[in-house]
Amino acid sequence: MGACGFLGVVGLGSCLSPGVTGGRCFRCLTRNCCEHSLGTSPKRRFSMRLNLRHIVLGLTTAGAVLLLTGGRAIAAQGSAAAENKIPMPGQFPPYKAPRTADGKPDFNGIWQSFVTADIDVQDHDAQPGPHPDIMGAYGAWPGGQGIVEGGEIPYKPEALAQKKANAEKRMVVNITSDPHRHDTGDPELKCYSPGVPRANYMPFPFQIIQGTDTILFSYQFARAVRTIYMNPNDKTIPKEAPADSWMGWSHGHFEGDTLVIDSTGFMPYTWFDRAGDYHSDALHVIERYTQVSPYHIMYEATIEDPNVFTRPWKVSFPLYRRMEKNIQLVDFNCTEFVLDLLYGQYSKRPTK
Amino acid sequence: MTNHLALPSRAIQIGLAAVLFTPTFVAAQSPGGVSVAHTKTAKANAPASTKGWTMPRTPDGQPDLHGYWTSESFTPLERPAKYAGREFLTDEEAEAVQKAGLQRGYDRTYDDPVEEPVYDSTTFGLTPALEGFAPNKRTSLIVDPPDGRMPPRTPEAMARPRAIGDRDYIEPDGHGGGVVHADTPKDIGVRTTCVSMSGGPPILPGAYNNGVYIHQNANYVVLQAEYGSELRIIPLDGRPHASADIHRWHGDGRGHWEGDTLVVETTNFRPEATFRNANPKTLKITERFKRVAPDQIEYGFTIDDPSTWTKPWTAIVPLHTIKGPFFEYACSESNMDVVNIMAGERASEKARAEKAKGASPPPKN
Repeated sequence: MGACGFLGVVGLGSCLSPGVTGGRCFRCLTRNCCEHSLGTSPKRRFSMRLNLRHIVLGLTTAGAVLLLTGGRAIAAQGSAAAENKIPMPGQFPPYKAPRTADGKPDFNGIWQSFVTADIDVQDHDAQPGPHPDIMGAYGAWPGGQGIVEGGEIPYKPEALAQKKANAEKRMVVNITSDPHRHDTGDPELKCYSPGVPRANYMPFPFQIIQGTDTILFSYQFARAVRTIYMNPNDKTIPKEAPADSWMGWSHGHFEGDTLVIDSTGFMPYTWFDRAGDYHSDALHVIERYTQVSPYHIMYEATIEDPNVFTRPWKVSFPLYRRMEKNIQLVDFNCTEFVLDLLYGQYSKRPTK
Repeated sequence: MTNHLALPSRAIQIGLAAVLFTPTFVAAQSPGGVSVAHTKTAKANAPASTKGWTMPRTPDGQPDLHGYWTSESFTPLERPAKYAGREFLTDEEAEAVQKAGLQRGYDRTYDDPVEEPVYDSTTFGLTPALEGFAPNKRTSLIVDPPDGRMPPRTPEAMARPRAIGDRDYIEPDGHGGGVVHADTPKDIGVRTTCVSMSGGPPILPGAYNNGVYIHQNANYVVLQAEYGSELRIIPLDGRPHASADIHRWHGDGRGHWEGDTLVVETTNFRPEATFRNANPKTLKITERFKRVAPDQIEYGFTIDDPSTWTKPWTAIVPLHTIKGPFFEYACSESNMDVVNIMAGERASEKARAEKAKGASPPPKN
């Protein structure tokens, strides 16, 4: 019953009902819920009485909250935190993002996803990973649910064959002094820039540093960087990519509270995951970052590449704000760790 | 094991040229991808007038340092003997230094024959002229000690082995050749292997790609080196340095504003990439950024490492505006140098072994 008091306020706020039936709490956000709250049995009267006390308590608390927050993020909107109730995954109550000094939605922070899409953007089981004989559980890859809307990537038939070939040769690394170095081997394994959107769902944090005309994305993995150009009137910034790059050429704008980033000009060498999912240099990614709570961004990316896919497809997942005190990115400069993997065949005593 | 070689390739030659012609600065190699700033056309090499100029400010009220800058300079880090006792050049001398520097750039445009393009020397050579920065009247970038020269190294520092990041794969022998270190990729050094290219601190010009992009908001200043695209993310919120157990390729920087001057203090360096073979445990670099004109930041740094130099020393490096943006410098992704250097070295070893075999007397029966 203790949890019901505050719920009562939510009930009041949304439909003027105590929001309690049969002594059980339930979330009361719609008009329909009011009819469930009427009851005359002794037990119900008792709970109503109890509930009235809690309503008073709840109102007092809510008043204090409103005073403290200046009325923003009103509890009556149904914030799960305010209700002290476990939120439903995938659902967020209405939220308005904080603003920067120049009035833009403020995306500053260190963010991280917690999906396993870096292993496979589609649904996948756990796997032993490479060399379980020495790596044991250290090297095992967790299973997980995919991030692709509809479950499947709409590959052209010949492209699907290429994806499978990529997966088979994901650990075949043959670094030459020409672009054939990119023919096989997952770029992640080689500590190459992960590309977009992969950088956003690798198991590493990244930092958004928002300036006035540009937003920087600094990724811990392989110290990858993206510069998002936000000022369409800046004539010094080309609209089209001046040269292909691993992290793409990105222009951004705000749509309400959503940061929309349009990226093209990609190298054809990055993959979407360890399962060999890939694209060509015709890749076009439109990302939508929407803040849905002080601690979450809902991320969505639409991926177009007519050379590889039959139609555009979408991925989506939440990003979580890293909240450790004094959190900062700590270098993961993995080039240092792959030198022998990349070049050991050329060593005086070849290491591979 | 190391091997003596007499200039095996054009790339090495140019690498050595960079060492020789910019003796005060880092030896810049170009592994793989190359980033070139869009540059503005040549202009009169004079700072814009500050008359009627007010400090531009961000929406948060901080001095606005945002934008693309270059540390390009023809001024040596240490004062040449011929200017002993003089802090400044005359206007005529400054013009002459500028002209000579630009001329060296033009001369470099002929370094690469068309049939053997190694570096795009035309672009690199002409960058200073295209960027058009003002002559520096100082006789050295070092302003303290007053003699314009680095203070003596401590005996401890002189006995310290060279850090791997400080060593490039060629050690010039002083006779036009050099010693090549290429037994393993690690021998080649952190720059040529693209582990960490540059980016400071401190900001000092090298042979090319001397741009720095400054990005800022209320709580952070970010410095991005054009050469290598590496970032330094500097919090301004007064938080303490990371613990001594965290070592960073560009150190762990903390910034604050002193009036209109941004002050950044950096510690927690990596042993492989510590500036001029200083002691990563005791080195502290303090940098100051102050915008003094529409097109200029006065940037200075103080190197304080009592276990390496007998006293702290300070240099001032003017940063001049350039037109952006920078391109991504994806270094390791297209690093051809390591393969070529190592494969070349293996081929040379084989050739030497064959030669030695041929030269040896026939076996006795």
